[in-house]
Amino acid sequence: MAVRANPNLIDDLEHYGARDAAKCYQCGNCSAACKLSGNSKVFPRKSMHYLQLGLEKPLRSTLDPWLCYYCGDCSDQCPRGAEPGETMMGMRRWLTAQYDFTGISRLLYRSWASELAAVLIVALATGAGFLGFGFLFGGGNLSVYDGAGAFLPAHDVHIFDWTMGITLALILSINCFRMWLFTMRGEHAKPVALSLYLRHMLLLPLHFITQKRYRDCEDKRPWVTHLVLMLSYLTLLILIMFFLKDMQSGPQINWYAHTFGYLASIGLVTTTILALRGRLKKDEAYHKYSHESDWIFLLLLLYVAITGILQHVLHRAGLPMAANIAYVVHLMGVVPMLVLEVPFGKWSHMAYRPLAIYLAQLQQAASEESMVLGESAKARTVA
Amino acid sequence: MSKPEVSAGKSEAGKPAAQRIGVYLLQAAESASASLDLRGVAEYAAHLPGVSAVRTLGPADALNPAQLARELRREKLDAVVLASEHPGFYQAAFARALALTGHDGEQVRLASFGERSDGQSTERAKALIAAAVQGIPFTPPPASSPASFSTATLVIGGGVAGIQASLEIAASGNKVYLVERTGTIGGRMAMFDKTFPTLDCAACILTPKMVAAGQNSNIEILALSEVEQVTGSAGAFKVKVLKHASRVDSSACVACGDCARFCPVTVSSEFDMGIATRKGIFIPFPQAVPNTYMINPEHCLWVQSNGKKCGACAKKCTRDAIHLDARDEVVELEVGNIIVATGYDTLDARRIEHYGYGAYPNVLTSLEFERLTNASGPTGGKIVMKTLRQNKKTKADEWVFDPDGPQPKAVAIVHCAGSRDQNYNSYCSRVCCMYSLKFAHLVREKLPEAECFEYYIDMRAFGKGYEEFSERIREEGVSLVRGRPASVTECGSRLNVHGENVATGRLMDQPVDMVILSVGLQPSPGTAELSEILGIPRDADGWFQELDYNSEPNSTGRDGIYIAGVCQGPKDIPDTVAQASAAAAGVLRSIVGRGNR
Repeated sequence: MAVRANPNLIDDLEHYGARDAAKCYQCGNCSAACKLSGNSKVFPRKSMHYLQLGLEKPLRSTLDPWLCYYCGDCSDQCPRGAEPGETMMGMRRWLTAQYDFTGISRLLYRSWASELAAVLIVALATGAGFLGFGFLFGGGNLSVYDGAGAFLPAHDVHIFDWTMGITLALILSINCFRMWLFTMRGEHAKPVALSLYLRHMLLLPLHFITQKRYRDCEDKRPWVTHLVLMLSYLTLLILIMFFLKDMQSGPQINWYAHTFGYLASIGLVTTTILALRGRLKKDEAYHKYSHESDWIFLLLLLYVAITGILQHVLHRAGLPMAANIAYVVHLMGVVPMLVLEVPFGKWSHMAYRPLAIYLAQLQQAASEESMVLGESAKARTVA
Repeated sequence: MSKPEVSAGKSEAGKPAAQRIGVYLLQAAESASASLDLRGVAEYAAHLPGVSAVRTLGPADALNPAQLARELRREKLDAVVLASEHPGFYQAAFARALALTGHDGEQVRLASFGERSDGQSTERAKALIAAAVQGIPFTPPPASSPASFSTATLVIGGGVAGIQASLEIAASGNKVYLVERTGTIGGRMAMFDKTFPTLDCAACILTPKMVAAGQNSNIEILALSEVEQVTGSAGAFKVKVLKHASRVDSSACVACGDCARFCPVTVSSEFDMGIATRKGIFIPFPQAVPNTYMINPEHCLWVQSNGKKCGACAKKCTRDAIHLDARDEVVELEVGNIIVATGYDTLDARRIEHYGYGAYPNVLTSLEFERLTNASGPTGGKIVMKTLRQNKKTKADEWVFDPDGPQPKAVAIVHCAGSRDQNYNSYCSRVCCMYSLKFAHLVREKLPEAECFEYYIDMRAFGKGYEEFSERIREEGVSLVRGRPASVTECGSRLNVHGENVATGRLMDQPVDMVILSVGLQPSPGTAELSEILGIPRDADGWFQELDYNSEPNSTGRDGIYIAGVCQGPKDIPDTVAQASAAAAGVLRSIVGRGNR
């Protein structure tokens, strides 16, 4: 069967942050240095090889980049400075763009100017939209924050949130479906029985919540940071989607809901600042290089966290007008972050990673079943 | 120690007064340095002091001596600087033209831009032309009177390169001072068991040469010696050599070994790479040249206690050969030429932490294995694993090679340990693939039951008979695994080599009993200091820099100083010997040329 090679693949990946992959001389040190790489999935060398050969299709159908949590051991030990860890990171961005059927992801990742423009446009549209709504259909009075006649009634915002949430989830689901299509339905993919899908189903929530594979890396701190950031974000998302009314009512503090909000806010701000500091100091291999999208993502996150806290504080301080303004300003960060990052950007890996681990497990289970026939594949190593 | 004086290699007397220099920029049909601003260079050259004319010529014009002579005469030029990518091509034509005008044909200086296109070629070209105009480094050597020309040669380093060069020069009847830092000549090759790809016994080739050097009346071996200072210039170098006292009179010592038997000090043997011990008074190995015992003052109780303790050896010596109070001396030599053959050291395997050298007793370096498998080594050539023994004196447990120790059932050989790796040495050391294959052969030959795994990145079998040797080893049942292991760890009583087999794309955990790290070569300690003392440059990796990679591989930037062997860059024994002979030819050319003048 003919294999098509795209000679520009390696150059294309550079837009996504892959660097120096051409330097790789295929010694395999990286795969062996990786604590997560195992015989069912040997990476990153294989992906580096696909990249060098321009094998776009095999690269698109590999799950390997998602199985890497980027501890940087491979890059530290790489004798050629080929930065396998950063290449895997670039591949994750590239794969995100491949999965995305709209093409928006590709546009945002390849040009920081368009990403910045997209953030600004969505932010301004959000600001104008909410102000317009507040004056025309909402309470109409900027100095009422909560209760009846609130400038932005919780009920209406709630409807908006859910509409947006469902839309974004739908897009992400389509992208996840495409990921499944590429990886499980490709030319060389082994068929996987439905029973296997069901048997391993629990892997999805397990890895989504715990990210336990990350813990297998040598350095445990990034796992903690990553987990706290994700859980904080998730907590806030749940609070907003299900308890918006409790969050927005006041000025008293609703401890049953706000306690979670406070903890999550502290978690979010701390981890975001830690991540920003790491990217500035560049001490660790995984912080050495930053794609423009990494900065925009972290800054958006910090902006959202701080403005969120601000509106809350202003509200409790008895400054409803300032709180309303802070609220709109907050939404001007939240909406672009969700709209751009969840289906097209970095947040999408919340779905892709656990899905990849699940699918990888299915692939392994399927190949183990087919291997029962013969032990021929045993690693006999006479080259 | 006084600071070495480095002569600039250029004296006022040698420079003719007020030359009229013409700079010729020679245009190639297709220029590699596309970024070269030729007009800018010409303008720059015209303003250099001493330059009377600047011309740009095409290749056809530059090869016509008659036409060139007319122009030289018209401009009254008596020296020319040829500037281009390959000016040497036109040198003969210009020399002829100068001769036709009645001037010295040797007054053609070259400013070679080479083939670099690094974006700075214009600035580089200007600098090269300025240097050539000023006569650096193309001025003829200062005219020294025949009386001050020395036909003696200093050879620094007594390895196979130094020995070969010394023998060549001595055979022509000229004097050689062979300076060696350790107590014996022979260098690294003396440690080897076999050579590749012929599997000859290394000692059988080398020891006759060592003996020949030791017995040759034209060769004076200065063992335990180091060059401290070099002044003067080609033809008349003055050299100060610090000769450490061996504290044993070589003319009286018959190497009976009584002294060592009574010496209470036991330390690890440098010659055996630390895998065996020697006494405080010792001979590096039985075939050492000079074949006399010596004392390392650092280990000697008598020296360390200022004569208050011990002295057993001197008391036991029946020939009164031991003089414990002997002092180091400085020897002054006058030589016409110098050959540097200081060889190499191996990378410190401790730096590669994930391979566990130093932490696990049965992780060895290549030179350690070389001594282990050598018939004159501590086990008589038996390949065994280290065993834990209690040191009778210190009562401490230590890992030692015992000839009756257990034999390994599996051996892993890891290529490129610290080579081709930007974290250590980014260059290829050239010999490791081949010596690793040789090791595999020795393992399979001596332990036919043992498995042997070679982990390589690329198999570099580049020389005559090398590819065939590599095929042979493959057929001998050695597993050649393409893939560089990431780690060696302890796994019960064995070692686990973890790597990816790139050919199959599978990860491998291979339990073995012994791991040999094929460590790369790097310049000998002291290379930097020697480069200062001699005033010869080193390259980016620390090796001595040859004058021209292709055409002058054993000349240096300084006239009269040659380099031979690995000190110029990693190479195998045949290449080292060839280069040593070539360096000797350079020396003899200057001696013979002198005689004919």
